[in-house]
Amino acid sequence: MEKKDLNLKSKWNLTPEGWNLEGVPACQDEKRYTQVGRSVPRIDGPIKVKGEAIYTGDMTLPGMVYGKIKRSIYAHAIIKKIDCSKARELPGVLAVLTGDEAPNKWGIVPQAANETVLAVGKVRFYGEGVAAVAALDEETAEAALGLIEVEYERLPVLLNPFESMERSQEVLIHEDSKGNIMHAGEQVYGDVDKAFAGCEYVLEREFHTNYPQHGFLEPHSALASYDAQNGQLHLWASSQIPHYLHRQMSIVLEIPMNKIRVTLPTIGGGFGGKGEAAPSEFVACLLSRKVGRPVKVVYDRQEVFYTNKGRHPCHMKVKMGLDKDGYIQAVDFDNTLDKGAYSGWGIVVLFYTASMIHLPYKVPNARFRGRSVYTNKPSTGAMRGLGGVQPRWALECLMDEMAEMMGISPYELKLKNAIESGHTCINNMFVPHSEFKKCLETAVKKSGFLEKQGKLPFGKGIGMAGGYYITGTAYTLYQNYKPHTTVMIRVDTEGGVTLLCAAAEIGQGCNTVMAQMVAEELGIQYEDVHVQSGDTEIGAFDLGSFASRLTYAAGAAIKMACVEINQRLKETAAGMLGVRADQLVIKNHEIYSMYEIKKRISWEKAVEAYTSINGTLVGMGNFSPPRRKGIDIISGNRVQGANIGHSPTFGFSSQVHEVEVDVETGRIYVKKVTEAGDCGTPVNPMSVDGQVEGSIMFNIGACLYEDQKLDVNGKHLNPNFHDYKTPTTMEMPEMDTNIVESYDHSAPFGVKETGEGAVQPTFPALTNAIYDAIGVRFYNLPITPEMVLKVLKDKKEGKL
Amino acid sequence: MFLNHFEYFAPKTPAETLELVARLGSKAKILAGGTDLMVVMKAKAISPDYLIDINGVEEFKGIFCEPGKGAVIGTNTKLAEIQFSEAIQEKYPALAYAAGEVGSSQVRHMASLGGNSCNASPAAETPTPLVALGAKVVLSSISGERELPLEEFILGVRVLDLAEGEMLTKFILPEPKLKSACRYAYMGRRDAMEIDCVNMAVTIELENDGETVKNIELVMGSVYPRPLASKEVTALLLGQKLSDQLIEKAAEAAQGEAKPIDDIRASAEYRREIVKVLACRLIKEAYAAAKGV
Amino acid sequence: MKKLIELDINGRIYEVAIDARDLLIDVIRNKVGLTGSKKGCGDGDCGACTVLIDGKPELSCIKLAIASQGKKITTIEGLVQESGQLHPIQQAYVDHGAVQCGFCTPGMILSSKALLDRNPNPTEQYIKHELSGNICRCTGYKRIIEAVEAAAKVWSKEGV
Repeated sequence: MEKKDLNLKSKWNLTPEGWNLEGVPACQDEKRYTQVGRSVPRIDGPIKVKGEAIYTGDMTLPGMVYGKIKRSIYAHAIIKKIDCSKARELPGVLAVLTGDEAPNKWGIVPQAANETVLAVGKVRFYGEGVAAVAALDEETAEAALGLIEVEYERLPVLLNPFESMERSQEVLIHEDSKGNIMHAGEQVYGDVDKAFAGCEYVLEREFHTNYPQHGFLEPHSALASYDAQNGQLHLWASSQIPHYLHRQMSIVLEIPMNKIRVTLPTIGGGFGGKGEAAPSEFVACLLSRKVGRPVKVVYDRQEVFYTNKGRHPCHMKVKMGLDKDGYIQAVDFDNTLDKGAYSGWGIVVLFYTASMIHLPYKVPNARFRGRSVYTNKPSTGAMRGLGGVQPRWALECLMDEMAEMMGISPYELKLKNAIESGHTCINNMFVPHSEFKKCLETAVKKSGFLEKQGKLPFGKGIGMAGGYYITGTAYTLYQNYKPHTTVMIRVDTEGGVTLLCAAAEIGQGCNTVMAQMVAEELGIQYEDVHVQSGDTEIGAFDLGSFASRLTYAAGAAIKMACVEINQRLKETAAGMLGVRADQLVIKNHEIYSMYEIKKRISWEKAVEAYTSINGTLVGMGNFSPPRRKGIDIISGNRVQGANIGHSPTFGFSSQVHEVEVDVETGRIYVKKVTEAGDCGTPVNPMSVDGQVEGSIMFNIGACLYEDQKLDVNGKHLNPNFHDYKTPTTMEMPEMDTNIVESYDHSAPFGVKETGEGAVQPTFPALTNAIYDAIGVRFYNLPITPEMVLKVLKDKKEGKL
Repeated sequence: MFLNHFEYFAPKTPAETLELVARLGSKAKILAGGTDLMVVMKAKAISPDYLIDINGVEEFKGIFCEPGKGAVIGTNTKLAEIQFSEAIQEKYPALAYAAGEVGSSQVRHMASLGGNSCNASPAAETPTPLVALGAKVVLSSISGERELPLEEFILGVRVLDLAEGEMLTKFILPEPKLKSACRYAYMGRRDAMEIDCVNMAVTIELENDGETVKNIELVMGSVYPRPLASKEVTALLLGQKLSDQLIEKAAEAAQGEAKPIDDIRASAEYRREIVKVLACRLIKEAYAAAKGV
Repeated sequence: MKKLIELDINGRIYEVAIDARDLLIDVIRNKVGLTGSKKGCGDGDCGACTVLIDGKPELSCIKLAIASQGKKITTIEGLVQESGQLHPIQQAYVDHGAVQCGFCTPGMILSSKALLDRNPNPTEQYIKHELSGNICRCTGYKRIIEAVEAAAKVWSKEGV
């Protein structure tokens, strides 16, 4: 590994605030940071390559038994009777659980929570849990499931949101949701109709997205241990959201939160799919309480498919108007979301799709109408780039088409309309910083887009798209003013430096990034920092890993926690050196005077001196995002659901895809992807590239290969990895990812998101490239060889 | 998900194996690679009482390939061995290629050539080129052996011409004719871990003039309950010098013979389209290769 | 009726009592206690359970334990060198950022070892072809391929 020479001094001496004495901002000094901005290997890399990382399913506790869930064989039915007597009698079975024993509703958005641990009275999707057993071994647990007899009365199965709305008089999926609509909303900003009337170019299209799911490699797993003597419950779970899980567990089990501890072992990927509590977790806890022994529940792959909370299929009508010069005047967006059986993240996703029309282009007038509709499918939920991917696809494809209408390059149209730093959207979303134009320029230039588009031979094509994503949310999911993240940093001569927090390392690399940020602030090296994360008892409060929030939120909290620590150490060192504390700098394990560089002592000496008098040094820090209101900035009126979409800052990106289409077989081969991203300061550039490359492949998969299929009864046709086709190494294109120079002054260390922004341009860049290759635009996903062949045939026969 | 309970046998010799096959009959399944068997057993699609693991029988493995004498391949020869065998690559490139495109590296190191045929899945990869190469299977039992062309051995979906007490023990491949070539291709959604929506192999043998088709065999997989050898393509092209027009006509004939189904992997209509595309491409490729171009 | 069998895993003989139906992955993880091999799908589709059997990559989730007697089984735990140093492939995965969530990693590394054992000077196409049975959802594969290429260079130099 290449290590930078840490003794290299900056050419300017820096003040602690990061300003050098000549007044040049620190961000322009490339040597400002020694730990942040370095491509260092992950701190959990070695244990993972050795197979020593412990995932939930790898754990065993003394006396541990196994839980399994009996699943519905109908997608919509009334449960007439459940007979568990035979299962109970099977030797080795310790307990059987049914839904009525835990009827409290759970759901990550509390206003709409309507899911129960196991079905109560009715099942609403195929594979929904109806009962659970705890047994001495897995074989017995599985055998016991076969002995549980369930009597059903079948109900009509609604699998399409439009049919669901249409037939709601006849059948309701939830009694309290009229029209089978979970939620409907409208947002109007400015005068949309008037704006359209004045437009030179107007285009309206319908777009339909597919039903992909996360495909994280580690199935849902939970291990619960309930201590009957002190009423304490400890849950180890494969989750992205220890806090929300903690909270919901308390509601369902009716135990105070302070009696529950949630610990995340190593997590094998999430992508949003572990961003809600899971029945596995409740079942493990309930069974453990029932049998007084630790209970482990690990799903098999089929169960992951049955209960997945994949991406909402969206049925979108999008209309855009441009003036004669190509400036966007208005966007009208109508979205029908397929919600599946339960609400989950529902309202949030609905309004995220609404917020996506306001960026990354300037839109002075906008209207959204949307509804999220229940169907008898697994509930849809959060999946990488929640709420963004579908509208981004529609809007970027629409703009590609409009650029053609105008006879200009889509690059020109997008650049012309791109927002810049300091932009306030019509819904009051504020963008403190943007290098979006630089992203567009970089991707287009590096790929040679302008030289290739429209000029490649038939069957070869190039397409581009832009995108953005939030860097954390403005609000918690339940009414509360508390900071979204709190961290504690402990410094002493025994443990060195330890960061204690409840952030969720799900594979994205936050522990490494947090160690780098702590080290940067404290003037030490990232290897010196121990990270204790993902535990609600050891670490202070954190909302979890979603909404691309962690680097920013944890970074802000870490900076705050370090202020206290640095101050104490400087005071101690000042006494030892005989200088003023406010003239001291801490860097590279040394504390020294910025004026008399000979006055210096080692950082460890100062720690030793401090702790020998005061004991352990602790710094606390927290982060609360700005709580911007969702209003129409012209009228000042509050707009329903418009608080959703605000973020402390936003990441931007652009992609150019090059494809080859085999016009005889319809197969699409993605040959090259050129990407440019504005993630602010890349704390760990290698990690950023990994996130971006992973994002690109993730959505190439959903754009071309992945789709969950159900038969007319709602039964899964491809609940496995041979017929649910994620990309393999063979589908990997050449990838050229670029981090554009960027520093957000409003952000800790200048950082922004990168984990979800990079999925946004993939669908449209690819779809636009296919258009460039074969002259046909697609409005449905995934784009399969069959579809390609059919349109080529239609085109040949003059039907298109 | 657990497998059913069964009794496990691991014979060491062909004689022991055949004795077990005779004794246990249809209640037993032969375990070679297990890449299909274990999956269907997990799904409880079948629950055999006995498994006869033939991996300990050396005689069932191996590639015997002598110049001018075709090849004999043991039933339990792993697909990876065929994929990487220089002898097979040289003499039967279509078979080496087909073997190398099955599932994944892991699957190819486990799965056997015999299993790929005996599983009798319409989408199986290697039976297609094997039929096009004129392969025969040897079926053995305690009372003797019989030989059968592979295309007569696989009768339909999961149906074999296998009598009680018999098992497939080896494949016999004839020596490729002079001025002949065989080519294989497949189509699926991905380029790995795929269950083909169509696969196909074409063997062409030319007359001494190096242009006229003396013999042609076009075999399709995944579009019929078993590997389907086209009669019409042979009838159309025999004795002909091939032109693009003629090839297209033959490909359309193959299309007409295919009886594909709709399923989650592809529609019948799409499969039929692909039959034509692959037929055109493969006939051209094999023709060029036979001509030595 | 359980049967006592011996399995040679990473050069050590383990005696385990098993049913004929027990799968190798479950025996390795639950009875032997080596949890580095992962169960991602249970159907042989994802490659997370890959182990080497007599040096060849096999899927332990569709392999009977009883059929693995008398073979040399290598799991991820068997790759670290005696000095405690990482195997060059493991080191390359760490250095090149080829690891994210890590769940596919053990199987991926063993598949990498198998392909390099067969061909220490691999082309990119060969690496892709032989790794296509290991699904990774995090990395987009790019850094994995780079890591294998880098390991190959060390390999041919040091002959590990």
